Amino acid sequence: MAFEFPKSLDDLPVSKVKWVGKPVNRVEDPQLVTGKTEFIDNVTLPGMLHCAILHSPHAHARIKSIDMSRAAALPGVVTTLTGEDAERWTRPMYTTPQGWGGYVLATDRVRFVGEPVAAVAATSRYIAEDALELIDVEYEPIDPIVDAFAAAQPDSPKVFEDHDDNIMYQRIFTWGEVEEAFQKADHVYKESFRWNRVGANPLETFGIISEWDIVEDSLTCRGSFQTPSFMAMGRAATFRLPSNKVRFIAQPHGGSFGGKGGGRGTDITLMLSRKAGGRPVKWIEDRMEYLSSGGSQAWDRHYDVSIAVKDDGTVTALRVKLLDDMGATAEGFGATGAVKPMASFTGCYAIPAAEYDLTLVATNKLPVSPYRGMGPPPHNFVLEQMMDIAARDLDLDPAEIRRRNFIPADQFPYIIASGNEYDSGEYEAALDKVLEMAGYEDLRREQEEARAEGRLVGIGVVSTIEPGVFDWNAYTVIGTAGIGIPEGVTVAIDTMGKITARVGFALEGQGQYTVITQLLAEYFGTELEDVRVVHVDNLSAPPNFGPGGSRLGVAITGAVLGAAQRLTEKLTKVAAKMFEVQPEDIELLDGMLRVKKVPESQLSVRNVAAIMLNRSDMLPPDVDPSPQATFAWTAPDRVEPDEQGRVKSYLTAANACHLVMVEIDPGTGKVEILKYYIADDCGTRLNPANVEGMIQGALAQGVGAALLEEYVYDDDGQLLTASFMDYLLPTIHEVPFPEKAALVTPSPFTPLGAKGAGESAIHTTPAAIMCAINDALLPLGVRAKEVPASPNRLWKLIQGASDQ
Amino acid sequence: MKPVSFEYFAPTSVADAVSLLQEHGPEAKLLAGGQSLVPLLNMRLARPTAVIDVNRVEGLDYVREDGDALAIGAMTHQRTVERSELVQRVNPLLHAATRLIGHPQIRNRGTVGGSIAHADPAAEYPAVALALDAEMRIVGPNAERLVPAADFFVTYLTTALEPTEMLTEVRVPALPQGTGWSIQEMTRRHGDFALAGAAVTLTMDGGACSDARIVLFGVGATPLRVQQAEERLVGERVDATLMSEVGREIKTSIDEPLADIHATSEYRRNLAGVLTERALVEALERAA
Ligand SMILES: Cc1cc2nc3c(=O)[nH]c(=O)nc-3n(C[C@H](O)[C@H](O)[C@H](O)COP(=O)(O)OP(=O)(O)OC[C@H]3O[C@@H](n4cnc5c(N)ncnc54)[C@H](O)[C@@H]3O)c2cc1C
Repeated sequence: MAFEFPKSLDDLPVSKVKWVGKPVNRVEDPQLVTGKTEFIDNVTLPGMLHCAILHSPHAHARIKSIDMSRAAALPGVVTTLTGEDAERWTRPMYTTPQGWGGYVLATDRVRFVGEPVAAVAATSRYIAEDALELIDVEYEPIDPIVDAFAAAQPDSPKVFEDHDDNIMYQRIFTWGEVEEAFQKADHVYKESFRWNRVGANPLETFGIISEWDIVEDSLTCRGSFQTPSFMAMGRAATFRLPSNKVRFIAQPHGGSFGGKGGGRGTDITLMLSRKAGGRPVKWIEDRMEYLSSGGSQAWDRHYDVSIAVKDDGTVTALRVKLLDDMGATAEGFGATGAVKPMASFTGCYAIPAAEYDLTLVATNKLPVSPYRGMGPPPHNFVLEQMMDIAARDLDLDPAEIRRRNFIPADQFPYIIASGNEYDSGEYEAALDKVLEMAGYEDLRREQEEARAEGRLVGIGVVSTIEPGVFDWNAYTVIGTAGIGIPEGVTVAIDTMGKITARVGFALEGQGQYTVITQLLAEYFGTELEDVRVVHVDNLSAPPNFGPGGSRLGVAITGAVLGAAQRLTEKLTKVAAKMFEVQPEDIELLDGMLRVKKVPESQLSVRNVAAIMLNRSDMLPPDVDPSPQATFAWTAPDRVEPDEQGRVKSYLTAANACHLVMVEIDPGTGKVEILKYYIADDCGTRLNPANVEGMIQGALAQGVGAALLEEYVYDDDGQLLTASFMDYLLPTIHEVPFPEKAALVTPSPFTPLGAKGAGESAIHTTPAAIMCAINDALLPLGVRAKEVPASPNRLWKLIQGASDQ
Repeated sequence: MKPVSFEYFAPTSVADAVSLLQEHGPEAKLLAGGQSLVPLLNMRLARPTAVIDVNRVEGLDYVREDGDALAIGAMTHQRTVERSELVQRVNPLLHAATRLIGHPQIRNRGTVGGSIAHADPAAEYPAVALALDAEMRIVGPNAERLVPAADFFVTYLTTALEPTEMLTEVRVPALPQGTGWSIQEMTRRHGDFALAGAAVTLTMDGGACSDARIVLFGVGATPLRVQQAEERLVGERVDATLMSEVGREIKTSIDEPLADIHATSEYRRNLAGVLTERALVEALERAA
């Protein structure tokens, strides 16, 4: 049966919208701010043991021997684990692309500093860590392969002996007449860029308690899982167990941003539990483990970019060559980050032809993980620098060159060269809004005055797309399977008329439970307090995936509205019987089921539900006594990609325009953000306060990427940023609170017109800040091409300019 | 990130603390605010067999005027110094330096004595202690001694304190009336340890400089007094050209600073010069 989803808030069954679209307080917050939320480290189970993991100190080495005997003999140690156990009990890790990984504990070789080598379970974490010092591992170091360019050479030493080289994936995607466009161009601009490793840093690291029931060979894991059902399937495959014997319970967690893959910790604790006779085993990843061996790192990129441009500033083609340093393995879906830029390859611009020359290379570093934004932020950085380079050369204002290339508002839905379809947008309106808020002309004047005084002041104006509603079909080119990602909810009304929504994902911080609450209270005409959202384990939940890929807000809205509609159909049948009319004669409005045109013949949803549960004598024969319904939503009309990887993948295209003004201190190279303005268009805002929170948080991550954050490895493959002393996250002092404007161009493709908005400003902020920095450097004739623009780097550039 | 096991003691007097130090030898560590020690313990970089928590030792938490100096008990929290009107009045340089240490949360627990005894080369207090000729009161098993800052900071994280000694008080001479001062530093983020910094005092007399102190931090193993630069100023009418020259000379004259991922030696040298010049400019403005 085809579902008709309400296209806008006006289509909801109420005379006046009360909750949806309003900045209602988050239902998650009272528990959080009073410290009642049960994070995994607050959970203690009877008989629980504590795991500690021994990590490799070498970037590359053969393991000659491991002797666990001294560790095992330490009082308090219950069991130990090595790669031999992993080989016996598990399959090698799932990787994309396939075949680039090993076991969760190293067997014959270690391939990065931090790789898990052995583990112990003891009666306390203290003892477990003491035991690690008693493990005797004999390593034979091998020269590490650290530099991505060297690693990509055919004669490079290899990370995996069973491969011909270190190239995990290589392909050139060509979309349209690229060569011709470059030949016919009035101007061709080329530049190289470097984006250094950054990554997800949630407040809480990964944590888990695993239990292996050795009687029935079933698993129960509690933890800070971003995607519990997906994790559960993975474990069934890893341990060759029937999938219905794997139970995953997600605890509320303190963020993820893609960094909570946690596969290795999960499998290690499961095996320890098995060896310990089924005792629960807890592992809380500490911050240094997270930074050096967890899901913390992403996007380690070397770019060569060129654009073909006409005299009037129209960009006719874009070529991007990317060497993406994946680290040692392809576990944990890090490679998706190199593919997702295809969903918004040409940004907000109507660039008809493009080429993507993509190489994923293995090196002896931590494997990269997904990170909020999933790959486009560096791509947007390089694209937007190219737009500015062209603008400067053609003597166009940066705002003007963008205006000339925007996809016009009347062209939507619009299919971009790389194949994705943008649903709707008003890019010029967003730009105008930002320019107006900022008082652009005055700002440019201020800048002129500052320049006259010798100050380095610059302005960046950048527009980007946030591809929303991730679908697996985008990633089939690197070997993922499937099309569509069902996200389900079960909605139940009880005898008291209270509503419960059961979902498969736990709290992570984005406020989706609040959105579900708003939707259900609206739909059934109740107060917010009448609705409760609960997380249920993977065996109890409808099909689900959880947060990821700027998808859940839209997907769960579809699921909730679908379930509400199904439930209403049942209630309608009961009401129809009561009023002795046909179901078609009944309508739901403001929480009442009423006979159309006879407003006094009405029953509340609550009453009808109670009748269903308590008066079987009043039920129509085709209705079971269950005021509940389940619905799973997935994006419509998704198919497989064509031979060039082109596909309608991400369903929505949100747009943001940022304007930032910076000043560089020439003596120290330090950047100060003077002004920041944002116009953001993510369609219908289901909860505007949530959207603002997403923007502000993503902006912080963008500031970090542009100015502060960087995972640094030395030539030996040692990580030099294994603590927050050296991996510099922005604090509240470094992050501006911009003036923000909301534009609303609803999506024609989604329920209520909402677009994915969870990744938000991280797509735009690094590009905007770097454009502003380069604008500031313009009078010196130098260009910052490396992110982050650290003070030392900028100072060096400025020095170079004055030495000339 | 759990420490190795250790014995824990919580003495209530300096004498008890010192005798515990004697008893446990160099394997013992005093615990003050814990802001430096506890991370080292948790990373197992420090592995003492005994931790002597001196937070219950009485009578070490004070800021008072003592003649021409401020006497500050070793266990005085940095936050107390920051909030002290006395410090602000008698020694605005010390006050300003305090506000540059970490964040309020750190200063709530971190102590004056802990910072000085820890002697991080990038820390503000040791630099200011050297610039202001502070003296450290040290109590050992048999005697008490006063060590001037110039003799106190030996090298990286190492001071004149013997393993059996405890720092009990820091005496900071008041900043003479009319002396200009400034502390300038470069950090990646608000509250970080400085990549480099300069603490400066400048006394002007009838249009000429009669006394100058320039101390750099973050560029060597200890805070670094640059006497050569001070001498360039004394007796001169200090103007923009001279201050800029002094800054430039510092860039080339100091020993090669350590490099790390945030700053090359070359960049640190530059910072030392730039920050010195800026500090001189500000100090001159403040000088009466
Ligand atoms: C996030 C963060 C940022 C920081 N930023 C800065 C900064 O910008 N500038 C800065 O200067 N510091 C900074 N610090 C360090 C902070 O100032 C510490 O307070 C200080 O370094 C140590 O003081 P403490 O009282 O915590 O000492 P502890 O950590 O308890 O002890 C430090 C060392 O001193 C010894 N010790 C302590 N007291 C005595 C005593 N009375 N006699 C003899 N030995 C003693 C201990 O045995 C130990 O070896 C920062 C710390 C953190 C965590």
